[in-house]
Amino acid sequence: MSAAIKGPSLTLKAREAISGWLFVSPILTGFMIFFVGPLIAVFYYSTTEWNLLSQQSHFVGMENYVDALTRNDTFWNVLVNSLVFAAGLVPLNMLLALGLALALSRSVRGAVFFRTVFFAPVITSAVAWAIIWTFLLQHESGAVNRALSVIGINGPNWLHEPHWAMASVIFTRVLKTVGLNMILYIAALQSIPRDYTEAARLEGANGWEIFRRITWPLLAPTTLVIMVITVVGSLKVFDHIYLMTGGGPQNATLVLAFYIYEQGFKFFNTGYASALAVILFVLILALTILQTILKAARK
Amino acid sequence: MSTIMIKRLICAAVLSGTIATNVNAEELRFTVWTGSKAHLDMLNDIAEGFRQTHPDVTVRYDTIPFGDYVQKLTLQMAGGNPPDLGWLLENSAPAFVEAGALADVSKTLHATENYNYADFSTSAMGLWTKDDGVYGIPFSTSPFLVYYNKSLYDAAGLETPDQRATDGTWTWEQLKKDAATLRNADAGVWGYETVDGQGYSARVWHNLIPIIRAYGGNAWTDGTCHLDSPEAVKAIKLFHDMIYVDGSAVPPGEQGDFFSGKSALTVTQISRVSKLADANFDWGIAPLPAGPAGNAATVGQAAVVAFAQGKNKDIAAEFLAYMTNAKNVAKMAEFFPPARKSVLEGDAFLSSNPAITPEQMKIVAQGIENGSVLPSHEHFPQIEAKARPEFDALWSKDADIQATMTKLCQGIQPLL
Amino acid sequence: MTYRTQQKITRICWIIGLCALAIPFVFPFIWMLSGALKGQADVFSSASLIPSQIHWSNFSEIFAYQPFARQYFNSLYIAVLVTGLTLFLASMAGYALARLRFSGSALVLLLLISALMMPEEVTIIPNFFLMKKLGLMNTHMPLILLPLFGSQGVMATFLMRQFFLALPKELEEAGRMDGLSRFGVYFKVALPLSRPALSAVGIITFLFSWNLFLEPLVFVNDIELFTLPLALANFTDTYGLPLWHLQLAATALAVIPMLIVYILAQRQIVESFALSGVKG
Repeated sequence: MSAAIKGPSLTLKAREAISGWLFVSPILTGFMIFFVGPLIAVFYYSTTEWNLLSQQSHFVGMENYVDALTRNDTFWNVLVNSLVFAAGLVPLNMLLALGLALALSRSVRGAVFFRTVFFAPVITSAVAWAIIWTFLLQHESGAVNRALSVIGINGPNWLHEPHWAMASVIFTRVLKTVGLNMILYIAALQSIPRDYTEAARLEGANGWEIFRRITWPLLAPTTLVIMVITVVGSLKVFDHIYLMTGGGPQNATLVLAFYIYEQGFKFFNTGYASALAVILFVLILALTILQTILKAARK
Repeated sequence: MSTIMIKRLICAAVLSGTIATNVNAEELRFTVWTGSKAHLDMLNDIAEGFRQTHPDVTVRYDTIPFGDYVQKLTLQMAGGNPPDLGWLLENSAPAFVEAGALADVSKTLHATENYNYADFSTSAMGLWTKDDGVYGIPFSTSPFLVYYNKSLYDAAGLETPDQRATDGTWTWEQLKKDAATLRNADAGVWGYETVDGQGYSARVWHNLIPIIRAYGGNAWTDGTCHLDSPEAVKAIKLFHDMIYVDGSAVPPGEQGDFFSGKSALTVTQISRVSKLADANFDWGIAPLPAGPAGNAATVGQAAVVAFAQGKNKDIAAEFLAYMTNAKNVAKMAEFFPPARKSVLEGDAFLSSNPAITPEQMKIVAQGIENGSVLPSHEHFPQIEAKARPEFDALWSKDADIQATMTKLCQGIQPLL
Repeated sequence: MTYRTQQKITRICWIIGLCALAIPFVFPFIWMLSGALKGQADVFSSASLIPSQIHWSNFSEIFAYQPFARQYFNSLYIAVLVTGLTLFLASMAGYALARLRFSGSALVLLLLISALMMPEEVTIIPNFFLMKKLGLMNTHMPLILLPLFGSQGVMATFLMRQFFLALPKELEEAGRMDGLSRFGVYFKVALPLSRPALSAVGIITFLFSWNLFLEPLVFVNDIELFTLPLALANFTDTYGLPLWHLQLAATALAVIPMLIVYILAQRQIVESFALSGVKG
């Protein structure tokens, strides 16, 4: 009975399906070739011992993982460094971004100026930023310590003392990236209707209460996005490390992304580096899943 | 408009891609770590000479910064884009030879007229031969020397290092004393700068090995690490004190460029003379100081190699033979002390560089004669990686040198 | 104290606080400019920001030292190309994932989301061998293909999908009534409406490409093919020591045009982020 109706609606559906696949196919094809394929390959590579220089490889099973997880204390050191880096960078970055956004969200004259200032490092090449800061953080002739000595502080050798090196890299990285998060927060704040906060103010709520009850919940989606971007950004940090510390001193700033590069392309341990890449993959996949759960819980 | 623009840009992208990969069959790519105009002019001159017999061969010199050299080279080779020829340092030689990355050029050398392969001593060729194969020809056998700022020495009324070297009083202790005297914090002048200012990173071995050897130590022999020996520790202590007790050596993370007059002393090789062309101070060179174990001249060696995967292996080998013939070695001697005995012993060598007096060149020649080559190993990249964090641990005021070096040796021992 | 003056004082305190906070953001630029005009020996030996002697020649020396103009162009055209292609492909895919119902779309979305946060370090080693096999080593292709089809392209697709989801359907339905094809609706109706999202995603993508460092480091050898970040890191003398004055002058040249563009467009940039609704 419904064949007559079903017929054309099926073709309509089919047509929509065809255009759907056509629309996604360019990016999907590229994604398969340049992401999914390599991802499968890296799992395979991680089971080989492979010397980049002599280009010889043979199967070793889980040996690379065993090596990383049990025999090599550098790996754990690197993992801890990566977590310390993320734990230092993410809260600092997000708090600063939120604070700046709250202070600068309204379009008054000064706000535009300050926004420009805080966003400027974002559009500056990361390499340029790292280079300049490396100079500023030199032990005696660096501008930072010169400024500190004026107020009587004898500054440390920032990039050459293990703890300070980590702190310095985090700090310069925050300066470089906080502007984007600030703009995202400002954008979100500006899309919150005025009436909400005005109404609350009329009911006698103070600034903190307005923030906690209205602004903060409304910012939640943005906060989640920013957190994701920042966490991932902190796990893939490469250029700052490469240019400012090279992973030193004493491996104090050797983070996973840099360690992969070094093992793979500097010490020719392609197989071992692949195993590290797989570990990074698992780590981030876990974060992605966690984020999805958080998001579902919010709704 | 925008689509046209995008099309154009795609064309540009594709074009630049094809230009890059379309290697002319007659172009030889030659990787070097020098960017000095004086050096490159000289090298281009040699390439120009080669064209007289091979009119359609051009040579393109690719500069890779020293710190990244081996890494970038390996990347290019692994990426299927190997250079035809290149420079290679002594410490990478065993790894490259063992991996089969270098081409055996012995046939070409023997087929080249008047090449006189026997002119290279067996000891100079040690790292570059395996069985009957020849995998590189040293073009530079360059002793480490002390460069000093004569203007500063004269102003302070100190006896200069080369005078002391003739007296026999030129020791590391003396160098330490001089550096402390000449350090002038107000003028931003340091006493001593490590090799190219990289003595804590890329050149930490170049920095410490000469001192360690002067104190009777060494890096390793026959698969045993000696870097934790009392001699080595004493040597490192001397340098450590220069940084943290005297405050005279440029510390890690600080800039004190000898060549712009910001340091009184440095240790480096003769090729750096090209950086002093327009120095606004007087300078001089002296041999490395002696230590308790007497003189310990140390030589850095670099060779010209042809790569096994190169696309034009035969022409590359011919160019290698041409570049290292007696005439061109004499030409390169201006910056790169030769490994050819005939050139080294000839008088022309002493006056090969107008910026260096024959007396100074004699110091170079002595250094080559008495010097031992820097340590090298088949696993050098891995050794370097293992040792790096331990070396880093030395650079703090209250570092326990003995403990650090013991740990370093434990770390690299399995690799030796 | 009146409420007015109290408010004024708070305002002044805020401004002083912001100024103090602004120092680490602004000072590096000032120092960079000062260093760019100093001679090499001067960069560190004098603490003064005003050069004892102005070396304009630093700026011309850059070009003698490296094909800097070419490298500048490389960075620029790659970033423009990556941005253009990403916007086109990502908006199309994002549109389909938001609007078109087709079996497998949920799977595609899940696949893309799982890659959303994957840094390029995860796949850089296999991609190295892939590019070698494709004969794309030492070309700009990897610098175009990897951002486009890696996490950046995925991120762009995802953001565009979120934007289209929030867009009212009615406008497009009118387009369909007029007899437009699916592609026509996307291209002529949906795309013009998504300008703010396009510009927000475009800015992020452009900056991503402009900052790219690992890929050029691994895939590009020839100095003529270098991009700006590589070129800036490559100002070293004969023996690998940085030529600070040239490096700083080049850095200044790399940074200043971007700053000017940003200052001119800053209001639109913030606005586009606000309107694009870049959120989860």
